[in-house]
Amino acid sequence: MNVFIRRNLLLIIVLAALFGIFAAAAQGMETQDFVITLLRGLSVGSLTFLVASGFSIIFGLLDVLNLAHGTLFMIGAYIGWTVYVRPDTFLDIVIPFILILSGFFLRDVWVSLAMRGLFAGRMKRILPWLGLLIAILILVVILPRYPIATWSVDNYAESPTSISYLAGQGQYILPPPTSFDEISPILAFGGLIMASLVGAFSLSILGGGKQPLQARISWRSFIGFTILLLLAFIIFIFNDPITNALAVLNGNLLFLVALLVAVGSGALLGSLMESTLIRPLYVRPIYQLMLTLGLSAIGIEMVRSLWGRPEFTMPRPELFAGTGEGCPAASLAGWWNYHCSTMILLDGRIRVYNEIFIPTIGLVVLIGVWVLLKRTRLGMVIRAGVQDREMVEALGINVRRVFTQVFALGVGLAALGGVLAAPSIGLSNVMGESFLLNALIALAIGGLTSYPGAALGSLLVGLLQQFIIKYGAIGIPIPYTDLVFKPTPPIVPASTILLMVIVLLILPNGLLGKKE
Amino acid sequence: MDILLDVQGIHTFIGQYHILQGVDVSIPQGAITALLGRNGAGKTTTLKSILGLTPPRQGRVIFRGREIQGMRSFEIAALGIGFVPEHRAVFRDLTVEENLKIAERKKGDYPRKQDFIFTLFPDLKRLIGLMGTNLSGGQQQMLAIARALVADNQLLLIDEPSEGLAPVLIEQLIKAIHQLSADSTVVLVEQNFLVASQLAEYYVIIEEGRSVRQGKMKDLIQDKETIHRYLEAA
Repeated sequence: MNVFIRRNLLLIIVLAALFGIFAAAAQGMETQDFVITLLRGLSVGSLTFLVASGFSIIFGLLDVLNLAHGTLFMIGAYIGWTVYVRPDTFLDIVIPFILILSGFFLRDVWVSLAMRGLFAGRMKRILPWLGLLIAILILVVILPRYPIATWSVDNYAESPTSISYLAGQGQYILPPPTSFDEISPILAFGGLIMASLVGAFSLSILGGGKQPLQARISWRSFIGFTILLLLAFIIFIFNDPITNALAVLNGNLLFLVALLVAVGSGALLGSLMESTLIRPLYVRPIYQLMLTLGLSAIGIEMVRSLWGRPEFTMPRPELFAGTGEGCPAASLAGWWNYHCSTMILLDGRIRVYNEIFIPTIGLVVLIGVWVLLKRTRLGMVIRAGVQDREMVEALGINVRRVFTQVFALGVGLAALGGVLAAPSIGLSNVMGESFLLNALIALAIGGLTSYPGAALGSLLVGLLQQFIIKYGAIGIPIPYTDLVFKPTPPIVPASTILLMVIVLLILPNGLLGKKE
Repeated sequence: MDILLDVQGIHTFIGQYHILQGVDVSIPQGAITALLGRNGAGKTTTLKSILGLTPPRQGRVIFRGREIQGMRSFEIAALGIGFVPEHRAVFRDLTVEENLKIAERKKGDYPRKQDFIFTLFPDLKRLIGLMGTNLSGGQQQMLAIARALVADNQLLLIDEPSEGLAPVLIEQLIKAIHQLSADSTVVLVEQNFLVASQLAEYYVIIEEGRSVRQGKMKDLIQDKETIHRYLEAA
């Protein structure tokens, strides 16, 4: 134990100092203020952690600084909003999406066809590109004509801003369903399946490498393909009933669906990003930075063109929206009975969604990812790969596939953060940037590739910001004088950077970072 | 004599450096072959080229009758090649047990091989819960070799096992490698000629990226001129 203390003396001193400051800060305010500020800090810390943990795992294993992480956080929020407020749009998009995805289930078939030399030599070089061109052409023709119930960015009454506002007021009115006017359904479906088959074929051959090995045709790929097609047709045929069912579905369940869809789309987006754009750049780190920075800008502009520029809100799920009888709740049981949006805790009034729900999810994710890292084979491979990728590969483990899974996990966590944050802070195109900045500071404080470090850093950043904000309102009396110091808003971000500078001066690898 | 692994005229580049400029190695089945040569001759790169970690640009690598050059490293390893890198690259943030478990290629490899591994390296059993970072150099080397034994490997590539170890440990190691070579073929890179000559039945000498001599170890021990020319410090 003595050795432990001697080795970590600086860390212990720093942590003790931080705790001392925290205790001093707690002394300076009323209990109720303190509890509220603490919970708010936990809330911000949780959201920061969702960004920071994914960023840190990706950086640790892949050495990729994903500067698009904040944008992916924001995209998660917008996807979640769409599912939650406009289930009709979501369902309309799902059908072509599934159809385009279906062809990729036959990847093994394409690769083995290519391997059997059905087309050798020059054909093998030209065909994939030709196929890709055809697939893109079909998509360009069909997708704009495919009917999707949507909103209007230009028309204020039909804009996301108005829709959100009305939904928040409980007026959940969906526009009449769209129909196939410009293109016949058979042509649209046939075309999309065709594009998917040709596109998947081309991409499998192009991305298959020189000697694809495991390319036995299994029934599983055909079954997957068929199930997806069936799913698309079922959703198409029962589109209206499903939409209505979703619209009248318990808002809490719909919110859960929105969470899951956002996480799933984030994971999918992440794996696509890694396997197509980032993979060729592992040998060129600077290009990666430029790529992720560029993707971040592209993502923001795409969201602007699809959802519009103005900020809007996402209604809180019913479980956290009650204001009538019995509210604010006196306890968690009261909240559960009346679904109050606020509750009384130690004489202070807190918002249940922001200050209880978000930290709870943050804690669940913290434990969940920790269990994944410590108790599963994937986690073992990740921890080993962070240290020595080459050796992991030499054990017969497909590290590239693990890279894709880790990227998907990281982006999925960011998307979860985004959709969780939306009902609390609202949606805006740049909502991710401040969280990315917070997350980077948190990681610098906690230690770049350390998972507990990400948690500790996020917690410190969240708490520090909220305490400074609170002290901006009540002021800090300066001892032995009559002066009261009130931190102004610009001090809030500056304070976290100051903390980072101090921590890094004392512990250059962050609080829990590994010594190199 | 069956040839398990046949390396034919490989050329490997690292960056723009032409490291291997024509290496031919035939590894007979069921024996220990030592790759000898001076520092920087290309012995480690030869091992890594076999495994595809530094893929050769030219030449062929044939393992059990199948051309494996150009395949991805994990696919090559999965054909039954175990690798023990130099500097004892055990995973520091994994426990000893996890270091062994991660090498499983099929479920149940580790429980099945447990007894065999712990008879070879009895020390490991006692260290099972320790983190890799807390092991001594010798213990790490034992673990790195044990890790390569978890999956069913026909061929083991062992890079500089005796480097930086105390003489007592080296003796233990020689015994262990002798024992495990009863079941699998071993290719050994070894600077220490004394160790190599005790272990190996065959040798290959690599000099400036080319394989220059190969044959039986007992002939090499007699051949003072070759030893002087290729192995003693220049």
